[in-house]
Amino acid sequence: MRDPYSVLGVSQNASDEEVKKAYRELARKYHPDNYQNNPLADLAEEKMKEINEAYDTITKQRAGGGGYQRSSGYGGSYQQGYSASGSSSYAQIRNLINAGDLATAEQLLFEINQRDGEWYFLSGSIAYRKGWMDEAMQNYSRAVQMEPNNMEYRQALAIMQRGAGGYRPAGYGGGMDSLDCCTTMLCLNCLCGGGHC
Amino acid sequence: MFGYVRPYRPELKCKDFDLYRATYCGLCRCLRRRYGLIAPLFLNFDFTFLALVLWEAEGQAEFCRGRCHANPLVKKTMCMDSPALELAADESVILTWWKLRDSIKDDGLWGGMPARLLAGLLRRSYKKARVRRPGFDQSVKQCLEELETLEGEKCPSLDRTADTFARLLQSAAPNEGEQGRILGQLLYHLGRWIYLADARDDLAEDLTAGRYNPVAARYGPEGDEAALALTMDQSLGQMGAALQLGEFGCRKVLLENMIYLGLPLVQRAVFDGSWAQIKKQKIWRNDT
Repeated sequence: MRDPYSVLGVSQNASDEEVKKAYRELARKYHPDNYQNNPLADLAEEKMKEINEAYDTITKQRAGGGGYQRSSGYGGSYQQGYSASGSSSYAQIRNLINAGDLATAEQLLFEINQRDGEWYFLSGSIAYRKGWMDEAMQNYSRAVQMEPNNMEYRQALAIMQRGAGGYRPAGYGGGMDSLDCCTTMLCLNCLCGGGHC
Repeated sequence: MFGYVRPYRPELKCKDFDLYRATYCGLCRCLRRRYGLIAPLFLNFDFTFLALVLWEAEGQAEFCRGRCHANPLVKKTMCMDSPALELAADESVILTWWKLRDSIKDDGLWGGMPARLLAGLLRRSYKKARVRRPGFDQSVKQCLEELETLEGEKCPSLDRTADTFARLLQSAAPNEGEQGRILGQLLYHLGRWIYLADARDDLAEDLTAGRYNPVAARYGPEGDEAALALTMDQSLGQMGAALQLGEFGCRKVLLENMIYLGLPLVQRAVFDGSWAQIKKQKIWRNDT
């Protein structure tokens, strides 16, 4: 296992507070919410596991081996894939999507004639994984329209509606609007040298 | 391929901007060494981005001083050649070639003259690059053929047309290992975003000329700016998520700047029409 301190990106002499802060930042970055239905979700999950283990190891060491429990709320289990519900072919399609076999999933889905909310939801999920965001939006919207009370569908749509939202490192939060005229002037001054800082 | 991908300078530290510039100059140098005098003329910001993402994570950048190709009186700091820089250089030549071929087809006998001339100049370089990266050349060719078919059919699906260009760019990353998967996802959505940005940029012109435009085909003559912006934002979101998972070493900050600040700004400029002016600027300035 890698050195837990280097996993969190802090030095061995970092204070408890610094360790916690580094852990929180990383946990925020790789939080399952940021990678829901993302084709790279498995990699984010691994990162999250590594970070959690590193933090646990450090806190245990520092507490002198006393069974320390992680106090913060980032235990966050990855909701790996979907829970099966409804008909068995939908369950099979969900499994295929989770396994990343989108072509077969799509094929099976198109063999179903009865198109209900779940059909559109799964169709949206396949599109999302492929990166076809426009079709994913349309299908999720349709699913929510047909079954407005289904939380799963509504959540999927809500994630899409936040656009480029999700994790941002510190300093990239507010976008351009956070620049006031003073910083703009300062920057212009430092640009004059043509980049020979 | 169009110069959309650039850093937002005011938010860059000097050292990161120097790294960007050294990569830009290093890619120019690499093109010159591998392909002679013509190929470096086609260098642009997008290819620099490609070089930055393809760079080996642990690889420490080695610098040298060399004469600028555009102005031999000036000496500049440049990145030394590396496998990633060579890959980016070869792929740049191939991408430029196919873009020129595309212009020749689109612009007719007289309009296509400049592109035909440039393609003639680039032919030898392209032949070399094709031998070096046959796989990439094949996939670019194939994706562009698919795109042409879809455009010929006046395809109403935004995703389907954008998918061809997205896969084209995706194939620029070596498809192996975790980092390969991450780069593939990042470049897929960059390609999708570039295709949509370019379609939005051409919208007015295409409507006047009565040409097919994927944005017009999807949203109708009225258009739906909010929906288009949202779907482009979603691709930016996916790029950010992929970036955070990858190993990019000292280039991470630069890439974050480009994805979180540069691209959204360009997107805004494309939507409000100020892009036509901005794209001519050599450096991304902050007076917009």
